[in-house]
Amino acid sequence: MRFLRLTAAQARYNLQAYVRSVRTVLLGLVMPVGLLVILSWVFAHQGQIAAAAGYQISAIAFYAGGLTAYGLMLGTFTGVMTAVVGAREAGWLKRFRASPMPPGTYLAGQILFNVLISLALVVVMMATASLVYGLHLRAIALFAMLCYTLLGVFGFTAIALAITRVITTPEMASSVGPFVTITLSFTSGVFLPPDLMPRWLVTFSNYLPLEPLAQSMQSALAAPTGTGFEGRSSVVLGVWGVLSFVVALWTFTWQPLRR
Amino acid sequence: MTNVIEVEGLTKRFGRLTAVDDVSFTVGQGEIFGLLGENGAGKTTTLEILEGFQRADRGSVRVLGIDPHSAHRDWRDRIGLVLQESDFDPVHTVTETVRLFASFFSHPRDVDETLALVGLADKARERVGRLSGGQKRRVDVALGIIGRPDLLFLDEPTTGFDPVARSEFWSVIEGLRDTGTSIVLTTHYMEEAERLCGRLAIMAKGRFVAEGTSSTLISSLGSTTVRFVLPPDLDVATLRSVTGATFVARDTMAVALLDEGVPEVLLRLLTWSQAHGVALEQFEVMRPTLNDVFLGATGSDS
Repeated sequence: MRFLRLTAAQARYNLQAYVRSVRTVLLGLVMPVGLLVILSWVFAHQGQIAAAAGYQISAIAFYAGGLTAYGLMLGTFTGVMTAVVGAREAGWLKRFRASPMPPGTYLAGQILFNVLISLALVVVMMATASLVYGLHLRAIALFAMLCYTLLGVFGFTAIALAITRVITTPEMASSVGPFVTITLSFTSGVFLPPDLMPRWLVTFSNYLPLEPLAQSMQSALAAPTGTGFEGRSSVVLGVWGVLSFVVALWTFTWQPLRR
Repeated sequence: MTNVIEVEGLTKRFGRLTAVDDVSFTVGQGEIFGLLGENGAGKTTTLEILEGFQRADRGSVRVLGIDPHSAHRDWRDRIGLVLQESDFDPVHTVTETVRLFASFFSHPRDVDETLALVGLADKARERVGRLSGGQKRRVDVALGIIGRPDLLFLDEPTTGFDPVARSEFWSVIEGLRDTGTSIVLTTHYMEEAERLCGRLAIMAKGRFVAEGTSSTLISSLGSTTVRFVLPPDLDVATLRSVTGATFVARDTMAVALLDEGVPEVLLRLLTWSQAHGVALEQFEVMRPTLNDVFLGATGSDS
């Protein structure tokens, strides 16, 4: 009970900062929706796009799924990394550690907060895709989106936490974040259809964390029947999450690295 | 009086540097204990060991009855910290920042009451990023006392305060002491130590070079300080031979701490200066201060 209350307090504290920061709202919500509108409009005439799994899906399903995954990564990965490094270097985490706060509530609060903002992103993206571009949303697809969102937030939070040990300054965090996310987004079938890319790069991307999430979401939205569930993607993302989490448990530090 | 802190033979090394060297002391309940020293003297390292952030290489440390390094959550519930430097999320209000911390403790103080106590009542809805340096420091203090700690650590709490804010802060600390909170304080300001600390220790190169109440430390030096601007063509050796008193040079001043024979020393000094036409500028005869103790103990006198 106390754990949940403190987790909620952390999530609430993060939300207060989120809604007041133009940067986070722009990056995490406005940009993915804007990209969806622009890219769907540009590629509308194509109708069908060759998705990663090798079959044709509609342009709107491709971009609605891929850009939701992209937005989730942008918000969660960059957000957790900059928040944790910033809080650590400001001595804020050290204060937490010296207080009776159970350490797990900080982590759980980060995850809960990112689940909430990612769900907000999913809602806005699905509403735009369905109302503006006529994407047919099946209930089972929405349920699949919810599951992939939870998996994605867990995975990208864990990856972000795992690398905070080598990110020594907030400035470094705010340049590593965009570098990683932009690079990944171009190889992971988010902006560019995978059949435009060399075969080896597609195969390589299959084992990076963004492509599986994008592809899972695209499949769920495009599949005319069933769940569109495809095991490989979830396993890859899950393994990234679990391994990163183990690394994070080993390497995470509450003390500022700059002394 | 029970002791909230008992330290025996505490030693901490970083590589070849011995940051804290065989230090022993106790702090009683309801006492304000001061740690004074220049930068790098070992104050913050000592404090971090007491707070549980670092582990002692040797010696025994008991804080509220247990070793802080293996301390559990119940122990942290009774400890308050004001760290030397810490920064906050600029977009949160003062109330939001303090409220988050209040949620961690089992018996937190009321948030509004705490803000009133540290003089931030009228800034409760202000965003932390818009506060001045001194006001941010008060947020720090609010976070330190929000859990109603039995023991509060203050690491240079008033650095960056203006004189008015500093004196208000001292009243807050005295108020906490009067309600039974034990306090360990590091500071650069002798005035602060003299006003607040029941007992204090002066650290230099990791060791305690003086310890006691400020009045015993001061009276151990002597009853009187004589000082004046050291004339340019004069050295302290000449003053020693003329007056028979141990003058030392401190910055631009010649200083002597005397215990007895004050009139005789003054008579010899003034007679000599008149006979040789040496002007003694800013000439003062006064009681020694804690600053004299500090400079003497840390070897800053030459």
